[in-house]
Amino acid sequence: MKQFLQKHKYKLISVCSFLFVLLVWELVTDVFHAISPLMLPSPAKILETFIYKLSGGTNPDGATLFENIWASLKIALGGYVVGVLIGVPLGVGMAWSRRFELFAKPLFNIIRPLPALAWIPLMILWLGIGYRSKIGIIFFAAFISATVNSYTGIRRTSQVHLWVGKTFGAANRQLLFKVAIPTALPMIFTGLRLALGSAWVALVAAELLAATRGLGFMIQMARMLGRPDVIIVGMLTIGFIGLLLNTVLEKLQNKFVKGAKKG
Amino acid sequence: MIDTTSKSRFSIKQLTVIYTIISLLSLLVVWELAARFTSASMFLPPASQVLMAFCRSFVEPIGKHTMLVHLGYSLYRVAVAFAISTVTGIALGVGMGYSRLLEAILKPLFEFIRPIPPLAWIPLSILWFGLGDTGKFFIIFLGCFCFITVNTYDGAKNVDPELMGAARMLGASERQVFFEIVLPSSVPYIFAGLQIAVTAGWSAVVGAEMVQSNEGVGWMIVRGMSTGNTQQIMVGMVAIGIVGFILANLTSALERRLCAWNEQKGV
Amino acid sequence: MERAKGSVTGNVVLECRNVGRTFKGYNGGPDNEVLRGVDFEVRENEFLVLFGAGQCGKTTLLNILAGLDMPTEGEVFARGKKVTGPAPERGVVYQKTSLFPWMTVEDNVGFGPKVRHMPKAERAARIKKYLELVGLTGFEKSFPGQLSGGMRQRVGIARAYANQPDIMLMDEPFGHLDAQTRYMMEEELQRIWQKEKRTVVFVTNNIEEALFLADRIILLTNCPTHIKKEYAIDMPHPRDYVDPEFLRLRQEITDNMDLTL
Repeated sequence: MKQFLQKHKYKLISVCSFLFVLLVWELVTDVFHAISPLMLPSPAKILETFIYKLSGGTNPDGATLFENIWASLKIALGGYVVGVLIGVPLGVGMAWSRRFELFAKPLFNIIRPLPALAWIPLMILWLGIGYRSKIGIIFFAAFISATVNSYTGIRRTSQVHLWVGKTFGAANRQLLFKVAIPTALPMIFTGLRLALGSAWVALVAAELLAATRGLGFMIQMARMLGRPDVIIVGMLTIGFIGLLLNTVLEKLQNKFVKGAKKG
Repeated sequence: MIDTTSKSRFSIKQLTVIYTIISLLSLLVVWELAARFTSASMFLPPASQVLMAFCRSFVEPIGKHTMLVHLGYSLYRVAVAFAISTVTGIALGVGMGYSRLLEAILKPLFEFIRPIPPLAWIPLSILWFGLGDTGKFFIIFLGCFCFITVNTYDGAKNVDPELMGAARMLGASERQVFFEIVLPSSVPYIFAGLQIAVTAGWSAVVGAEMVQSNEGVGWMIVRGMSTGNTQQIMVGMVAIGIVGFILANLTSALERRLCAWNEQKGV
Repeated sequence: MERAKGSVTGNVVLECRNVGRTFKGYNGGPDNEVLRGVDFEVRENEFLVLFGAGQCGKTTLLNILAGLDMPTEGEVFARGKKVTGPAPERGVVYQKTSLFPWMTVEDNVGFGPKVRHMPKAERAARIKKYLELVGLTGFEKSFPGQLSGGMRQRVGIARAYANQPDIMLMDEPFGHLDAQTRYMMEEELQRIWQKEKRTVVFVTNNIEEALFLADRIILLTNCPTHIKKEYAIDMPHPRDYVDPEFLRLRQEITDNMDLTL
């Protein structure tokens, strides 16, 4: 027993610390009523709401938790795929061809410092408040990380590897597909992960501003109706889905990128 | 092929300038022509008009204030929140990286909060802090804080144990090891964190102001949206982009100055 | 085990008594015995070389002498007091130099005196003295990253000297240097040591380096490392790599080396 305690000392402290915070939270809300439930609901209440929303409750925003998740996820992944499909080839192209880089980089550099969120008004004005504008916003969020990382990845291809390829008589195209892209793959994957993270964040922002469904919409509605328990359920779900997406990509990266540490 | 040699009679630098001018000019020309002679004119004001409006915005107010005042509001919000998050983020990061006890206590709580995007806190922060600046400080703080903490933590965790050993051998106390070794060798990591954080903070202020504000660049573009004023949105975006660019480069310039020793690797 | 006779006299500075070190196996794997029954002493102002081929043991032994690692058997005494942890009386020069990359050369050299609260003026004098000793005057404001490998080792030596330790432990300090620089640094170290004598324990796997520097050589064998033989070297300095006596000793010691790993 003593040995067990010693071995898992820090894990136990972690668990205790977490439980302690929950306990204090529960005490100041449900037990002593020091904080109004309109400001901060108790953990018990949040759990209750979570179970309610999970098991098909549609109040107060008119959709179940799964419907909201699905609505958000659909749009996020849609915009993400478009962003990656354009961003990765663009990054690779800019790194590989000097002429293309000279022309495209200034244009890219204009867009780059602009946060994806700043596109929201323009997109909504141009494309309406439906899914198309949100896909546009998420496209910008994903596109920039994907491009930057692919570009850097290719640029870091070791000159020696290229020389080796050349001395074996590889053509330019072969050098690109057999040497440069495989070397850049860890970086590209990192870019894909960052892009997915930005896409998810941008989606939430877009849904806060204009939506009729989705997790961002859910927490915005909950605020207007004074339901902090639903807000917190929504926030935790958003965080959890973000984490999940990242983990999935990490697993994919470990599977596909062999012989290289992740960048 | 990554070709660093150029066969033309211009140097790489000259070529870059030439191509930059060509590509930007062609963008402006296509934009201008599209906005003047095609059906895009419905929703796209000509480039020249946007640029003129941008210049005018420094003397003519948009809403109640001129551009500089709007930028001032946004930058002030970022500066306050960034300063608070720098202090707390570095303290927390170094603390968790150096002390296993602090790490065990705080890391699970931190990891619990970290995946929640800062903007998702907006509804709750409006409930808690109302519509004033405090709520915005809170959102921007969250936007910066996590990056600074995570990077500082990595830095403090990755201190070369041989350097700590060397310091102890030379007679340094634990306190001296902390202040003379752990802290300075985390500095490059901290700067990497600050650089991401400043960009994230700028993005967060735009988001926060879009959801709830009466001034600032985020307000400017969202106001343009609700009044259908594309030109105002674009003027705001130009300003946001320029400031974003300056902020990102300011931190890397600062890093190069303060971490000159880190330029030559391989010690 | 044979002991070398004569040649080295003086007070005992460091005693290594029957030291053994066994590392616990990972996840129930077999334990790894690295040191067994290592027993020797170091006398004042002697240059002792711990020489052996192969990977295991030498650095562990030096870390134990330094107090950075604890033996699982036996004890280490410094001037009669048991070693329980690192102390400024025992300076270490590492293979990787372990200079603090964010400090200038002078701050690196002055680090020991600084953390031991030496007044500023005295500290400056000491930095000056030892930078002069290692021949680095003029590089005070450089960062370690701007120096060559040999120069970094000089800073490392100056840093150890500046603390004026009772004994200096050197763990293959020239192991990373190219052959040319290595010869030069060996001569430099010999010159520095002649100028300001210290008790030195020097670990190396290079026989020429050992013979060039040592007053006494302890030959270590491999896995678990223990002492095979001791040699007193009383050739005059500076030594010549092709001197017949040098070559004879070199032959004798290499013949005794245990080349199985």
